[in-house]
Amino acid sequence: MSTKQIIYLALIAVILVGLALFPFMTQDDSTFNLVILVFLYMTLASSWNILGGYTGQTNLGHAAFFGAGSLATRLLWVGGFPAVPSILAGGVIAVALALAIGIPAFKLKGVYFAIGTLALALILNITIGNVFPEMSYNPAISDYQIVPRYYLFLGLTVITIAAAYFLVNSRWGLGMMAVREGEEAAESLGISALRHKLLALAASAFFAGLAGSAFAYYHVSYYLNMPFGPEWTFDPMMMAYIGGTGTVIGPIIGSIFFVGLKQLLVWNVGEYHLIIFGVLFILIVLFLPGGLVEAWKKYQRWFTRWYQRRNTSPRNVIGTGHLP
Amino acid sequence: MFEGLSQNLVFGILVGSLYGLAAMGLSMIFGVTKLLNVAHGELIMFGGYACFWAFSLLDIDPFLTIPLAMLALFLIGAVLYSLIFSRTIKLPDESKVKNSLLVAFGLSVILQNLALRFWTADERGVTPAYYQTSFTALEVRFPLVRLASFAVALIFLIALRLFLKNTYTGKAIRATVQNWEAASLMGIDIHKVYLLSFSIGAALAGVAGTLVVTNYSIQPAMGLGWTMKALIVMVLGGLGSIPGTFIGGLILGVTESATSFFINSNYREVAGLILFVLVLIFRPQGLFGTKES
Amino acid sequence: MLSIDTIAVFYKELQAIWDVSLDVNDGEIVALVGPNGAGKTTILRVISGLIQPSAGKISFQGQNISHVPPHKIVELGLSQVPESGKIFTGMSVLENLELGAYVARARKDRSASLARVFEIFPRLAERRNQLAGTLSGGERQMLAIGRALMSEPRLLMLDEPSFGLAPILVEHMFETIRKINQQGLTILLVEQNVQASLELAHRAYLLENGRIVGEGKGKELLSFESVRSAYLA
Repeated sequence: MSTKQIIYLALIAVILVGLALFPFMTQDDSTFNLVILVFLYMTLASSWNILGGYTGQTNLGHAAFFGAGSLATRLLWVGGFPAVPSILAGGVIAVALALAIGIPAFKLKGVYFAIGTLALALILNITIGNVFPEMSYNPAISDYQIVPRYYLFLGLTVITIAAAYFLVNSRWGLGMMAVREGEEAAESLGISALRHKLLALAASAFFAGLAGSAFAYYHVSYYLNMPFGPEWTFDPMMMAYIGGTGTVIGPIIGSIFFVGLKQLLVWNVGEYHLIIFGVLFILIVLFLPGGLVEAWKKYQRWFTRWYQRRNTSPRNVIGTGHLP
Repeated sequence: MFEGLSQNLVFGILVGSLYGLAAMGLSMIFGVTKLLNVAHGELIMFGGYACFWAFSLLDIDPFLTIPLAMLALFLIGAVLYSLIFSRTIKLPDESKVKNSLLVAFGLSVILQNLALRFWTADERGVTPAYYQTSFTALEVRFPLVRLASFAVALIFLIALRLFLKNTYTGKAIRATVQNWEAASLMGIDIHKVYLLSFSIGAALAGVAGTLVVTNYSIQPAMGLGWTMKALIVMVLGGLGSIPGTFIGGLILGVTESATSFFINSNYREVAGLILFVLVLIFRPQGLFGTKES
Repeated sequence: MLSIDTIAVFYKELQAIWDVSLDVNDGEIVALVGPNGAGKTTILRVISGLIQPSAGKISFQGQNISHVPPHKIVELGLSQVPESGKIFTGMSVLENLELGAYVARARKDRSASLARVFEIFPRLAERRNQLAGTLSGGERQMLAIGRALMSEPRLLMLDEPSFGLAPILVEHMFETIRKINQQGLTILLVEQNVQASLELAHRAYLLENGRIVGEGKGKELLSFESVRSAYLA
């Protein structure tokens, strides 16, 4: 193990311990809510990234999986089921939905896949809104505790990011990236594009579904079709792009950045964070397709070159050359 | 039962013409530039607000605001193309479509929030004096505003067809679609063609917007819904066919009103979306399109 | 009239043209011959502004056109008939010809130009209202040339006008090119049909692997041993 890896692991350990001890440091509900929102977006952006970033399939219907997970969990849990199996059921239902729509959806290529999945999510959004027009209230409202919800989201986020990390570094992950670079070329290497896309979709849907389950367990009262809303696709997608698609760290950075910007701007000028976020997103897509991660790498390379140039400047070279 | 049905059918056709017009701009832009501007619904919304402003502040008849909305949206389109979309125009087709789609999503977020800032989240509509006027024929009611909107949509679709068919500029646009390299060897400035087509597409969204605010209502969150309607119609009608797009609009309008009649009006949009997904999967070249090489 | 001075062209990282220089004088027919993949089409594309040279200079009638966009080059009087014609198959013959006269300079004379094109290619007059996509191979090539003539060029570049034509039509095509030239139009001809084009051209350049390897009077080049053995054997 290299020194660099040890430093990274130590850093991750420190962050995890810090986050685990976080409830002992604060009692403030709004702080919890803010951190939970970051966790939620991290899970959604990271799970979107498995299919959208690593496999190159722009899924504009991610909200369908988030919504399906939340719907299943909320109905079971409100119906009297214990919380843990209700939450797991949310992930399972999302995968079932993914596999059901996956085969027809992957008949569509490129942009048709994007608008096709968008249409599917909208169909579910409207239909669920029609079937369940009533507001859903949290049954445990009298003894609602934020701390267990905090740990639920923390655990989910860690598992999602770890799963994404190990998936993309496995043989399957290599196959997914090969599909992104070109389906025909991948097929000619014996990589089944459909199988890799389905796996990526299932993994992506599973974690989005669990995020929905956690959301259903966390949120006090909401309309059941609200988690199917298109913003649950577009916001995480923009976060993944701004952080850097096709990297594990990108969606994490993007989510922190999004929520941070939102906090900052709400305090100052009202609800304008989305305008600035939209502008930033456009700039990233046009000029910096690798997102902030790429910007950081570019800066590092520039810095290294600048540093090397400084230490091998002509004056030094001439100086040594003149030695007797 | 029968009267209700025929009334429904008539309303479906009348609103369908508006869908056709809404899709025409999107189709024009996509057909010429291969840019998928999913912020089209927001352009329609801006056209609607232009009409709303002119009507409520200057007391101009909503149908007479059409040139105004067209001009405003033509300019907005030109600015958006020059600032943003022109930067994706040189990419190979597949990444061009994808990047333009993403960029347009960012744009729709911006435009939607700008509209919130300028006009608040309230629903707006315009109600001229003749708003309630309607004619009855064969026991079917034809509201004046909707009939006039149908006529406007039809006039613009015919005008666009004549423009593309008979003017030098229209021919240059068609030539660029067929083979941009050969077109530039004719002395056609293809970047100007792209700019112009995008702006015309936006101007058509402006016209559609005035009709939407006159017949229904507008609000800042309407964009995605209208983008989807335009996308559905574009895919139903097949690319590059103006009559196809118009008929696609009528099909969507009738599908929606039939769903309202036989099932439930809450599912009218779902019916259109399901039709869309089915056509995407089973007949991606559209109902009237031909397979292109 | 046209002068190319040591240009280099890259496709991404790959160099396609090395240090090519050539001149076309007023009233000449100049042929650029060479095997498939030598870079002939690339040179025409550079002259037309469809790709940019990374080094060197192209001037037309004394004006530097190395980085002028394609549509302005047509306006200056330099037209190209691209490889395999590239006619607008979804439009009528007449519309194709009208588009040829798109530039402002040519648009005002378009009825006179049309009459002239119909005189050169009576076949096109017969089919003026037909969709260009329904024409035969020979007719398409006529349409492509007619369309370029509509822009009233001072110099016409032709990319493989004989490609895919039956032998009898090839002969006819070269005869037409000679006739157009005699009416005062300067011509730069790219061909794989070495024999016929060297017989037709006043001067010719031989291009191989992106470099000019030979140059001379058309009929002289024809007698070169290397040319004979490589292309006419």
